[in-house]
Amino acid sequence: MARVVLVRLAWMLPILLGVSVVAFVLMRALPGDFAQASAGTTELTPDALETIRRSLGLDRPVWEQYLHWLGRILRGDFGDSFVTHKPVLGELLPRLAVTAQLTLMAGLLAMLMGATSGLLSARLRGRTDWVVRGLNGLMLAVPNFVVATLIVLLAGLYFPEIGIFNYTPFLTDPLANLGSLLLPAISLALAVSVTISENTRAAVLEVSSQDFVMVARAKGLHRRTILLQYLVRNALTPVITVTGLQLASLLGGSILIETIFTIPGMGQYLFDSISNRDYPVIQAIVLVAATIVLLMNVLVDIAYARVDARVSYD
Amino acid sequence: MTDAAEPRRPRARGRVLLALGLVMLVGMLVVTLFGPLIAPHGAATTSPDSLAGPSAAHWLGTDSIGRDVLSRLIIGGRTTLLITFVAVSIAVAAGLVLGLLSGYVGGLVDELIMRTLDIIFAFPVFLLAIAVVAALGPTVPNLILTIAIVYTPTLARVVRGPVLSVKRWDHVEAARSVGVGEFAIATRHVLPMVISPILVQTSLTLANTIFTVTALSFLGIGPPPPDPNWGGMLSEARQFMELAPLTVIGPAAAIVFATMTFIVLANGLREVLDVGSR
Repeated sequence: MARVVLVRLAWMLPILLGVSVVAFVLMRALPGDFAQASAGTTELTPDALETIRRSLGLDRPVWEQYLHWLGRILRGDFGDSFVTHKPVLGELLPRLAVTAQLTLMAGLLAMLMGATSGLLSARLRGRTDWVVRGLNGLMLAVPNFVVATLIVLLAGLYFPEIGIFNYTPFLTDPLANLGSLLLPAISLALAVSVTISENTRAAVLEVSSQDFVMVARAKGLHRRTILLQYLVRNALTPVITVTGLQLASLLGGSILIETIFTIPGMGQYLFDSISNRDYPVIQAIVLVAATIVLLMNVLVDIAYARVDARVSYD
Repeated sequence: MTDAAEPRRPRARGRVLLALGLVMLVGMLVVTLFGPLIAPHGAATTSPDSLAGPSAAHWLGTDSIGRDVLSRLIIGGRTTLLITFVAVSIAVAAGLVLGLLSGYVGGLVDELIMRTLDIIFAFPVFLLAIAVVAALGPTVPNLILTIAIVYTPTLARVVRGPVLSVKRWDHVEAARSVGVGEFAIATRHVLPMVISPILVQTSLTLANTIFTVTALSFLGIGPPPPDPNWGGMLSEARQFMELAPLTVIGPAAAIVFATMTFIVLANGLREVLDVGSR
């Protein structure tokens, strides 16, 4: 087990390095000059511009700039925001926590909805199956930001007393916090639950036709034992994988959902930074998000190996 | 994760889905291609009554500065669909070249291509799209380029997988033994055998691209004004949506219709061509 973990983690390193190159190059590819963006104005004397360039190290060769930048990132220094002139990391972390909570809530909701509907669909078949798959098809076609906008519209029209835009920090009032994140989490979870539901359904159907389930049924095991010990356990593997892999789309989706519901998370931070051309922040968010997605994929692989003894990485 | 347990669904259902998808697609294309001829008003033409409800002159009402919602939807579809189709065409072409090269040549080339694509894969698609558009600036060519970049890895993988097994089939060996060149084998004897999964994935990518394009526009980093587009219209309409719900429901319905079209097409293709459920 320890070896599996180590091998997977080691695989991450070259990819992370590549990710850092992409994030670095993206920032150098900007229209206009990095030094100008840093100063926040285009009306600079050539001398002043030159001073800024030198202080940012822009006069050195690109590879040297990259190594210097990477070295600082590895020490946790993501640079200063062009707007607030404070370290990016300190501003990012509290927002990351909000986004993480939203993503986690949405992930759990999606798993709950997806696994339940998929299981029902596969076990009951017939009309239930038909209804679940029809709903899934519909939900798949409605993008999360459209769902969120429609939820806001409906709430505004019919339930004006619910404060949709009242985000409450968790430490102020945990219950109000969960309540304020519920609608955003639902709009984020719907489309993801479809993928989980369809995969659960396919997995349960596949497992139920296996010989060992027939044997279990033939030797008279209780229905519930078969369901829990045989079907659910074996169908769990693909479900875990899919849920983990959907994290990337949840994280991406939270950017949109946060701006709609005005939740002060990483997505809204990114959105503001784009309007302000605050490039160190954009860069930091891109790096952090990619690292989280990579880590999650590794965790999925490990969970996969834990649940399914047949998987090995030798 | 195949539907092995399930009896193969009758192809008839696939044909119905495929036909339905094609009808939806053709309808959408006709309306958007002939948009300026069909639209009752100009996209920027304003009328004195803003945020009006549906009427004979304005079927879907007007927006906050009195422009006809229906006309803007029809004309806005042009920008949205243009970006979608061009970007996906580029991604499919790049995916074909990279996937074929990777799967057919194998070895070091395969490693190099797949590991590079892994890097792009590590980013959440939407986040990468935002970052690239933010870095390059939100113009139509940049949006096309960005979307092509973020969807190329998926398509390359879909091409590579089947190529890996098809290249070992007997007919490939036979072609080689009678002296057919490697390039001709790859394009004429391997590629045609993997076309079905590519078609299905292309259709799914079109659905995903509608999402990405409209979402970027929704965030305000889509095609620049004054040309309308669906995501931008939805975003603008939010401010006054309680006064004129149709200004929100119109673009929302257009986005859902376009996404639905490509999902229906993908499912139809999948069943008719008998591609595995994933």
